[in-house]
Amino acid sequence: MTANSTALAPASLFVGDVTLKGLEDDIYRPLESFPTTRWWLAISFTGALASIFALCAGITVTQGIGTWGNNNPVGWGWAIVNFVFWVGIGHAGTLISAILFLFRQRWRTGIARFAEAMTVFAVICAMQFPLFHTGRPWLAMFWLIPYPNDQGIYQNFRSPLEWDVFAVSTYGLVSLMFWYTGLIPDLATARDRAKHQFRKFVYGVLSLGWKGSNRAWSHYEKAYLLFAGLSTPLVLSVHSIVSFDFAVSVIPGWHTTIFPPYFVAGAIFSGFAMVATLIIILRKMFHLQHLITDNHLELMNKIIIATSLMVGYAYAMEFFMAWYSGVAYERYVFLNRALGPYAWAYWTMAICNVLAPQLLWFKKIRRTALLMYPVVLLVNVGMWFERFVIVVTSLHRDFLPSSWDYYKPTLVDIGLFVGSIGIFLTLMLLFCRFLPTIAATELKVVLAESRSEGGHRE
Amino acid sequence: MSRDSAPGFHSRESMQRLKAEALPSRSENLAPPDEITRRDALRVLMGASSALALGLTGCERKPRRQIISRATGPEWQRPGEAVYYSSTWTDGDFPYGLMLKTVDGRPIKIEGNPDHPVNREGSTVGMQASVLSLYDPDRLRAPHDEMGAVSWEAVDLRVVEGLRRASSVVLMTRANLGPTERALIGQFLAVCPGARHFVHETVHDGTRRSAWNMVYGVAGEALPRFERAGVIVSLDSDFLGSDGAVLENIRSFAKGRRLADAGHRHAETNRLYVVESAMTVTGSNADHRIRLRPSGMGLVVRALLRAVDGHSEDLAALGRVHGIDDTLLKALVQDLRANTGKSLVVAGPHLPGAVHAGVALLNDRLDAPGNTLDWNPVPAKMPVDDPEEVETAIDRGVDAAIFLDVNPVYDWPGKDFANLLKKIHLSVGHGLHRDETVAACSLALPSSHNLESWNDAEPRSGIRTICQPTIAPLFESRQSIESLFLWTQALTKEGSPIRECEDWHDYLRIRWGGQVVGAESYSEQREQRQRWEDVLRRGGSFEEKKAVPLPKLKRGAAESLSRVELSADGYEVTIQPHHAVYDGRFANNGWLQELPDPVSKLVWDNAASVSPQTAQSLEVSEGDMIAIEVGDGSVELPVLVQPGMADGVIATSLGFGRTAGGQILQQAGEGNAAALLGRQDPATPRLATDARVTKTGRSRKLVRTQKQFSMQGRPIVLTGTLEEYRKDAGFVSHKRHMPELVSMYQPYDYSKGHKWAIAIDLGVCVGCSACVIACQAENNIPIVGREQCAVGREMHWMRIDRYHDGDSENPTVHQQPMLCQQCDNAPCESVCPVNATTHSPEGLNEMVYNRCVGTRYCSNNCPYKVRRFNFLRYQKTQLRDPLQELAFNPQVTVREMGVMEKCTFCVQRITAGKFRAKNEGRALKDSEIQTACQQACPAQAIVFGDLNDPQSRIAKLYASKRAFFVLEEYNVRPNVAYLARVRNPNPSSAENVSGGHHG
Repeated sequence: MTANSTALAPASLFVGDVTLKGLEDDIYRPLESFPTTRWWLAISFTGALASIFALCAGITVTQGIGTWGNNNPVGWGWAIVNFVFWVGIGHAGTLISAILFLFRQRWRTGIARFAEAMTVFAVICAMQFPLFHTGRPWLAMFWLIPYPNDQGIYQNFRSPLEWDVFAVSTYGLVSLMFWYTGLIPDLATARDRAKHQFRKFVYGVLSLGWKGSNRAWSHYEKAYLLFAGLSTPLVLSVHSIVSFDFAVSVIPGWHTTIFPPYFVAGAIFSGFAMVATLIIILRKMFHLQHLITDNHLELMNKIIIATSLMVGYAYAMEFFMAWYSGVAYERYVFLNRALGPYAWAYWTMAICNVLAPQLLWFKKIRRTALLMYPVVLLVNVGMWFERFVIVVTSLHRDFLPSSWDYYKPTLVDIGLFVGSIGIFLTLMLLFCRFLPTIAATELKVVLAESRSEGGHRE
Repeated sequence: MSRDSAPGFHSRESMQRLKAEALPSRSENLAPPDEITRRDALRVLMGASSALALGLTGCERKPRRQIISRATGPEWQRPGEAVYYSSTWTDGDFPYGLMLKTVDGRPIKIEGNPDHPVNREGSTVGMQASVLSLYDPDRLRAPHDEMGAVSWEAVDLRVVEGLRRASSVVLMTRANLGPTERALIGQFLAVCPGARHFVHETVHDGTRRSAWNMVYGVAGEALPRFERAGVIVSLDSDFLGSDGAVLENIRSFAKGRRLADAGHRHAETNRLYVVESAMTVTGSNADHRIRLRPSGMGLVVRALLRAVDGHSEDLAALGRVHGIDDTLLKALVQDLRANTGKSLVVAGPHLPGAVHAGVALLNDRLDAPGNTLDWNPVPAKMPVDDPEEVETAIDRGVDAAIFLDVNPVYDWPGKDFANLLKKIHLSVGHGLHRDETVAACSLALPSSHNLESWNDAEPRSGIRTICQPTIAPLFESRQSIESLFLWTQALTKEGSPIRECEDWHDYLRIRWGGQVVGAESYSEQREQRQRWEDVLRRGGSFEEKKAVPLPKLKRGAAESLSRVELSADGYEVTIQPHHAVYDGRFANNGWLQELPDPVSKLVWDNAASVSPQTAQSLEVSEGDMIAIEVGDGSVELPVLVQPGMADGVIATSLGFGRTAGGQILQQAGEGNAAALLGRQDPATPRLATDARVTKTGRSRKLVRTQKQFSMQGRPIVLTGTLEEYRKDAGFVSHKRHMPELVSMYQPYDYSKGHKWAIAIDLGVCVGCSACVIACQAENNIPIVGREQCAVGREMHWMRIDRYHDGDSENPTVHQQPMLCQQCDNAPCESVCPVNATTHSPEGLNEMVYNRCVGTRYCSNNCPYKVRRFNFLRYQKTQLRDPLQELAFNPQVTVREMGVMEKCTFCVQRITAGKFRAKNEGRALKDSEIQTACQQACPAQAIVFGDLNDPQSRIAKLYASKRAFFVLEEYNVRPNVAYLARVRNPNPSSAENVSGGHHG
């Protein structure tokens, strides 16, 4: 074990005197008490936002994509930006659950459940956009899926969009199953703690009759490990394939071999930033500071700064390659990004994603929720702008200057994005209310281990 | 035994009986008249409610207009099959020949009549768009008086009565009148003693014609012969855009620019010098272009005149006064002297008489008459009358006024015409729409459209063309000239020949050599009939007459006229016809409103074009409104910054600011430039040299379909000079870097069957944009409206890209028609997730609309950005009336919202051509299939064909060393080859160095 491992040792993952009973009570309290006024206020607000999505989607489907800002050179606008943004957000969960699990990073237990839930909800949000962005979604929802049909036309497997369909749906399904598998023992606990017959019944059904037998645990652990193994390549593949939407095209600024690793790094970056953004609020709201500690925050901040450096490197390398390739179109696109009409977007991105995270070099900032909060918020903003820069600035000025134009979003574009945030937050709030937000069973194991002065479960 | 009674055969009688039983005759009323049907009984029962009874009669409604079913249609008609008719375009500025494609009795596409000696197959944007005006739902549908709709009989009674009583009558018509129309007007004036005929037109060459009249001593017009000229000098004459018979000009100019690689060492093309105030289509094609205020044109002519004779000191003075590079002028003079007999000088019709007199002297000195200049004693357009004369006539008191398809209330270059109209007891407005004038008249009469009319025209003396209708009038309309005919007939005494004519058609036919039936023997009648049918079939009689020589120049008159000075002490304003809506008469045509201006790419709007420097000195930027005042007229227009304009000059178009006559024109820009016409000097109505300009502080966003005019140093349009070409016909290969091309895909095998391709000669394309409208008409392309254009969603499958190069104040212009390149390695095909765009075995990139789900990935991945997406229900918003559906080409799918579309190389024409050849059991001939853009192109710059046929024109053009592909280095393997433009700047001018693009 490295020197750093002391920070990851189970003992440091709790603050104060945490007992098994107290831990369980803390985690299950939100499920078992009547929602607070604050919760009601919050969900009415996010629900209102989510209904904006429904309204704007309705406008789009009935009136056409013309209600958006898309135009002739810029065929993809905010919808695809939002899609890539949400898929990116969805990366942290599986990364935390699967990869960190495989690497035996014990500190993950505190935030894994929450991050997984976030993944599932982010993928749900992400999947709205490719569907609604098609001109005829009522056909697209069938024709992109290779089902047996009598039309005699099959899908085009050369198209990265088709790859997307499989990549994102696989990722979504596996993430959902992984999350649910992890939830089973905790749902059983909820069932066992339930006083009301109805609650008992619902959690009983959801926990699939979990009894906690040795056999069940043994199968469970194996299944969890398998899912972790299965999800790990997906974390890398899904955003690589999303990046193929751009990398496989001929458009300067899109056609870049650096995209797959750059997108994955960016996704982890944005995912962790989003986990941090939400979990800070969560632990404050539900008084879980002793379970989700400053150590957790610091570890996440370290990953954020590492991935920030990676995307920063990618930004620089894109410029270098554009210059080094000697291709005039390529050079122009990057000059145009930095100096053209969308320079404001480019520099917003660069400041938020590369400059702001440098503050995290200071330990004080890393460990203080209030100080790091602006940084992770800026990273969320910056990563949205990164996708905007990639999608829009490359398209708005491509090969023939005669077709160059400017893209501006409409209210419907904005409504769909704000609405998707509403969907996401609504799902998050429901999750906080009805499901254990922290993997209680796992944490109990860690707590038990920390009591017996370390040592490994396996 | 006779055959009739043989068993198994019916006798003739029995056959007829059987037929009568089986087939209802056409006039038969299907409801049995004598029986009381169940429905009648019900109607009686419910008779208490009359509204209900009306509703029930509705059940038995039959179409008012004749319909043709498959079973009982005329025997020669096959549903869906195209039938072509010849006709003449009488609506526009010049009577070009038309060839109309009709399907199931409705005209759907217009081409140029290939037999017509003036325009050949070429067509103008106005001709192409004419079919849309025919089905315009905003047309006036029935005659109206002050109270409402009236019958034609009532109208005729009232007009004839009014004319009988009137002591003073004004008849106002357009200038473009056929010989029969002129004859009828003559007869009308004879029978209506108080009547005077006035020709009203805002776009005319009256100034130039009266100057010619003075210097040549006879009326007529000089005909430039560009094909015979080696050196052409244009002084503010946009002869490739709006001046004269443009289609003929483009064709003959292109003739002098065409190159063949064989003998490229000695290749010759004409050289075009343009001295102009505004950036025009002609200036865009110049080898040398000089910016100059209109007031300086007279000086230039005089300086050139003296310099040709060896006194070049005036040239240097010109350089001092107007800042013109005098080395270029000296080179020009040298060129003119070296090309005596092969050079031609033309001047714009808006310039003052002095310039035209000077030009006549110069042409005379350069030996142009007989070589590059011919004479036409009877121009197609009648001379325009002085507006003041009309005003005085009306002021003196007019009892009745008849306006035939003119709109003086909108564009009168003088007093407020609506006020003048109030003084007239009976005013008759005849028009296609309820336009400003028709609305202000006591009788509003609907005119039939050009395509519903009989007429004739004489575009050149000796060439007579016929205009025949291809559809019965869609509404209760009547040809305006037919109305005049009927009124003349009614006023004429019994027994005169006009009384014998059944109608206007009869009158026309008799004048074309037909006699009243019964006058001649049978064989003579048959011969006459055949002659007439031949005329109708071909569209006229086109015997080539010997060219008329130019009358002798009266030197003294010319010299004294040429010395008249023009004062200039303000901003100079030129008012030109709009390239699409002309003088405003086509303002309600959506295709034309949405056609990008060939120069500025502006749509739906009028603007005041100024040079960047003028904009700076006025402290305005694009879209700022300025008020332009000339004399007592003023107009407010948004500024458009146009490089290439002369400083201190404002160029604007007529045709905007219409207030009545349809819904389309409501979307278009305001600012009626007609308010400035003739305000400084009625002799030069379209020119002002002392205009005052003020900023208003308001602004209007101008919509241009192209925003970037710089090529950014990219090898998109390749050009060279004639010298380069002579040295090396393959000069294009040095103009760009070509990497080695590798593809991961197996190349397609096109060795069997056809391989379609297009070649576009950039050397002859002038950028007139006729192809754009032709494509729109052929392929049912919707208009999207001003607002959608503003967000960059115009739907044109074909566009003319325009690039500026060199001097930013006076750029060299490159134009490039851009359409789907039908790439072999099409980037769009590989990214469509649902296989909606696929490759055909004949090399076409096909779009399957039914399969398209609208991901727009194909459009993103198209390097040429030629794909167009139906962002909204564009077809639905365009269709306000089912009538408009008649304009659709039935062979082309109408696309719905959410579907991608693009150029198909007119695949419907390819298929039709292949079927035709197959049915006739023969191979396809080269050039048998023409795409719509190709057919419309007056310069014949576009050639479509089969690359697998080594003898085809396309194969030869592909073998040309000038051929290149746009973005060839991306290895998408396009199937549209461009032939590099070869410019011909004067080698001895300094400007030569900056010409051409070095990539």
